[in-house]
Amino acid sequence: MSNNHETNTPVSLRGLSADDPHLQPAARKPARVEKVISISFVFAIIFGVLFIAAFVQNWQPYILGGSLAGSLLLLGIGLVAWGKYLMPRGPFVEDRHEFRSSDEDRAAFAAAIIQRGGGVVKRRKVITGLFAGGMGVFSLGALFPLLRSLGPLPKGTLFHTDWRKDAYAVDITGRRVLVSDLAIGSIITVYPEGKQDSENGQAVDQTVLIRISNQDFTTMKGRESWGPQGLLAYSKLCTHLGCPVGLYEQQMQLLVCPCHQSMFNVNNGAVPQFGPAPRPLPQLPIYIDADGYIRAQSDYHEPVGPGFWERS
Amino acid sequence: MSETLNTKRAKKLAKGPFGGVGHALNEIDDRLGAAKGGRTFLDKIFPDHWSFMLGEIALYSFVILLVTGIFLALYYIPSTAIVTYHGTYMPLYGQKMTEAYASSVNLSFAVRGGLLMRQMHHWACDIFVGALVVHMARVFFTGAFRKPRELNWTIGTTLMTLAIVNGFLGYSLPDDLVSGTGIRIAYSILLSLPVVGSYLAFWIFGGNFPGTMVIPRFFVLHEFIVPLLILGLVGAHLALLVRQKHTQFPGPGKTEENVVGTPMFPVFMAKTTGFLLIVGGVTAALGAFAQINPIWQFGQYHASNISYAVQPDWYMGFLDGALRIWPSWTFHSFGHTIAFETLVPALILPGLVFNLAYAWPALERKFTGDNAIHHLLDRPSDRAVRTSVGVATLSFLMMLFIASSTDVIANFFHISLNTVLWAMRILVVLVPLIAYPLSYKICKEMQSFKGAGKRKTTNVVTRTAEGEYVATASPRYVDDVPSHLAPIPVPKFITELDSVKNVDEGNGTRVVDR
Amino acid sequence: MIGSFFKRAALLTILGVASAGPLVLFAQGADAAKQPYQTGRIDSGTPNSTTVVKDSKGAVVSYGNSSITYNAPPTSLIGLGRALYMQNCASCHGTEANGVPATGSSGSYPALVGLGPATVDFWITSGRMPAADPRAVQAMRHVQKLTDSQALAISSWVNSLAPSYPYIPTPNLATANVSNGAALFALNCAACHTIEGDGDALASNTYAPSLRNIPAVQVVEAIRTGPANMPRFTGNLSDSQVNDIVKYVTTEIQHPNNPGGLGLGGLGPVAEGFIGLALGVGGLALFGFWVGERDE
Repeated sequence: MSNNHETNTPVSLRGLSADDPHLQPAARKPARVEKVISISFVFAIIFGVLFIAAFVQNWQPYILGGSLAGSLLLLGIGLVAWGKYLMPRGPFVEDRHEFRSSDEDRAAFAAAIIQRGGGVVKRRKVITGLFAGGMGVFSLGALFPLLRSLGPLPKGTLFHTDWRKDAYAVDITGRRVLVSDLAIGSIITVYPEGKQDSENGQAVDQTVLIRISNQDFTTMKGRESWGPQGLLAYSKLCTHLGCPVGLYEQQMQLLVCPCHQSMFNVNNGAVPQFGPAPRPLPQLPIYIDADGYIRAQSDYHEPVGPGFWERS
Repeated sequence: MSETLNTKRAKKLAKGPFGGVGHALNEIDDRLGAAKGGRTFLDKIFPDHWSFMLGEIALYSFVILLVTGIFLALYYIPSTAIVTYHGTYMPLYGQKMTEAYASSVNLSFAVRGGLLMRQMHHWACDIFVGALVVHMARVFFTGAFRKPRELNWTIGTTLMTLAIVNGFLGYSLPDDLVSGTGIRIAYSILLSLPVVGSYLAFWIFGGNFPGTMVIPRFFVLHEFIVPLLILGLVGAHLALLVRQKHTQFPGPGKTEENVVGTPMFPVFMAKTTGFLLIVGGVTAALGAFAQINPIWQFGQYHASNISYAVQPDWYMGFLDGALRIWPSWTFHSFGHTIAFETLVPALILPGLVFNLAYAWPALERKFTGDNAIHHLLDRPSDRAVRTSVGVATLSFLMMLFIASSTDVIANFFHISLNTVLWAMRILVVLVPLIAYPLSYKICKEMQSFKGAGKRKTTNVVTRTAEGEYVATASPRYVDDVPSHLAPIPVPKFITELDSVKNVDEGNGTRVVDR
Repeated sequence: MIGSFFKRAALLTILGVASAGPLVLFAQGADAAKQPYQTGRIDSGTPNSTTVVKDSKGAVVSYGNSSITYNAPPTSLIGLGRALYMQNCASCHGTEANGVPATGSSGSYPALVGLGPATVDFWITSGRMPAADPRAVQAMRHVQKLTDSQALAISSWVNSLAPSYPYIPTPNLATANVSNGAALFALNCAACHTIEGDGDALASNTYAPSLRNIPAVQVVEAIRTGPANMPRFTGNLSDSQVNDIVKYVTTEIQHPNNPGGLGLGGLGPVAEGFIGLALGVGGLALFGFWVGERDE
């Protein structure tokens, strides 16, 4: 017991005799541990060779990764075991030193800053102020062009889309959509003609066209002509965070945003009936021309997508 | 013959008792004076309690991230120029895609070891942030952040935010359908900032979403600026650790004035290098056998495409969860919109959580009046208030994290999606409110139960000659006997215990017999 | 601060109605489904297709093109179909297959006439009908209760009451372009079924089913008829586009190429995070537990 207690008492590393029990291996049978570690290293070498072979032969990633993992793991385990069982067992101790400097040093340090530095600044108030002002103006001046040159100003771009009066609705391939293309319960993503391949067309103009009946459909007061033959066009940008609202539940008459599950009722103007979206999806006024093509009456009457400061 | 022998011997002798290596070391010392400091460094003592390895997991997974990241950077092209894919993966053959996506797919399929490196990089990232969380929790619950280590706590919290940010940036780079959706959401969050939102979003993205600038810019941030910041802060973190020395748990022979453990050389060096290899090995095993982020199945991002069940990587989950469950409260007036439905969950809430973390050491100093230097760690149960605050905060974040997979839960258990969402709205408030008093009570119970956390000893029951049964407790284990453990002063706010004996009114501490 | 009072009130009302809503909406959906199947577009699953075969009486027997052929169920099975229908379907859908209106709380059962043989075939061969629980909001995919030929017989009888389209499709996957299918899948299908085809929960106890084990014919039938909450794709997808999607679903979705190891169930970051934390951080913490000391 007492022997155990003695060897478990931490000692300083300095001035230990070579045969001190603290410097002996921790393992009771070092030879056996060494054998195990050797085996581990031998297998690590084998895995390493396998890794090289897998790389040269371009074998499957799992062979490549598996051999790499085996090699690294066995090397690591062997090395840890070496350190843990075959190296000086300790425990060792070292003293901490107080961080606090002596009172004289502290006073001298403070004095150096306050008296020497402060004196210089206090006596030269005008140029100190001017220097600070100069640096400030420079920083602001440097910051502004740096930020400003990153990109254009938003101006009115967030308020408009590319939908114009009489613009044809086309699908992703650029084909004009006919009213007879859509059976009841259909959904299609449409773009203003010519914009289906553009970044802005995809990101801002995207509109879902759904058909909920064969009769003209009014989603809310003032939109009597917006839903000819039961066709409704809503902005595909969720008013929450702008994900495409591509999930249409035909029987529930719901458009659902796949990102955060806002649910919009298509019957009453896409008013959100569940989830975090704060506003209805803007509805695009459309009409059917004499040839049966679906065309826009105008742009959206409000900004599409998520909220921003300038939006009223 | 004998002369050459003599010369060899003479040369050997001239090199001193430590031979060629010793000679080389002397030469170095002549120029740098490194011997004294070097010896101190080699003799440096590391306490090696297992919980101290959690920070090492983070450090070494960061090393893996750097190594695999350099490999990936050699093949990845940060460009949104449109190319046509003519690679080996048939479902994408002939599709138009950005160079960023095409090069990500190519480095997965056409570059030898590329897929393994990509998967290791991603797994190492998941492990990195995970290890940061448990390391931070360990530091918090044991009070290792207290004076004099507040600065290192601040650096660590900054590292956590940078790691999360860089994880998001890296996740965005392949420009696949799922990551593109994440960028879209990030853009909308920027847009929601009052007054400056639209300007900031336009500047960062170089115009309206998606533009062509965001991928190259994210690349520069992800592989240059943020890693450099992380590297610098990790350096500072470790330098402070060396300067201030490790904390340690109280135990036999361990005091506020010393450090007990293993020396830097050779024991700690062998163990820690071995552990680096093990971290690499585990990451490689995951990269080899568990597929992560199969971007080739997702396809190129198009702004009008969307997949259901898209979640960000797990460390962003709490933000996504908050965005899902926060109600649709918004503000429209005076010709302006304040998008509270985005602003609160995506910016204000994480801001509060991280600022609480930054402020915690100062808050604790203020409320306990404990301004002393601490090198010995607390047992979490001895600090009921701190532990309960930590548990409540973590359970709050955990609930938000779970809320980010409402659809997966609803689908898996076949419950209504609407029900799950409402349940999460309630649980996110309720669970922390339960967690706080519960963990407070548990801590108090553990404080009042002497020997809690110690190994149990057996009772030996014997039958006397008269037929009477007598139970005798067997002696406690040697390591559990607190014989050579000096009493430790602890601040008075925790001690309403019977065991409190000596009160030192002078420095505001009481002495607890452990 | 939190939107106008009326908006909130309206939202609350809608929320309240939503719990009873699905049943009403189901009835609405049934009405919608009764509307004629219409599209003016050639190559979109209607007899406007390039090839139309008619029998001696002028009735359309089959139509289609090199991508998909649609065949009418054989008239020889009408008798058998009627008997099977009366046994398995009539109790809900009525003896004339024209549906039963809503009574009490059980909702309504949609009419089957005019929906086309593909609809009837889809619901029966996917095991959804005869329904395990006729009152459920959504009939789930199940082990088939009637065989393929029995389904064919029933659809044959229902079609004989009022001939309608689409007929039962046969996709020609040899001509399909899997890459085009992948792009179309991402645009049209992934929003509900997820990009990996696993399906997910939709609003109020409705689900987008997994596509991992759906036969090619049923994929075409679902796209062309829009079962339950699924939208219907008619003129907005041509037969060759549908064929491409089916090829992608039956190859890459159902037998995904997972060169990176285990596919992790396609759950994405949820599963990945779980593995990363449990095996990665947890496993390494166990190693650390061995590397470090723990004698306190």
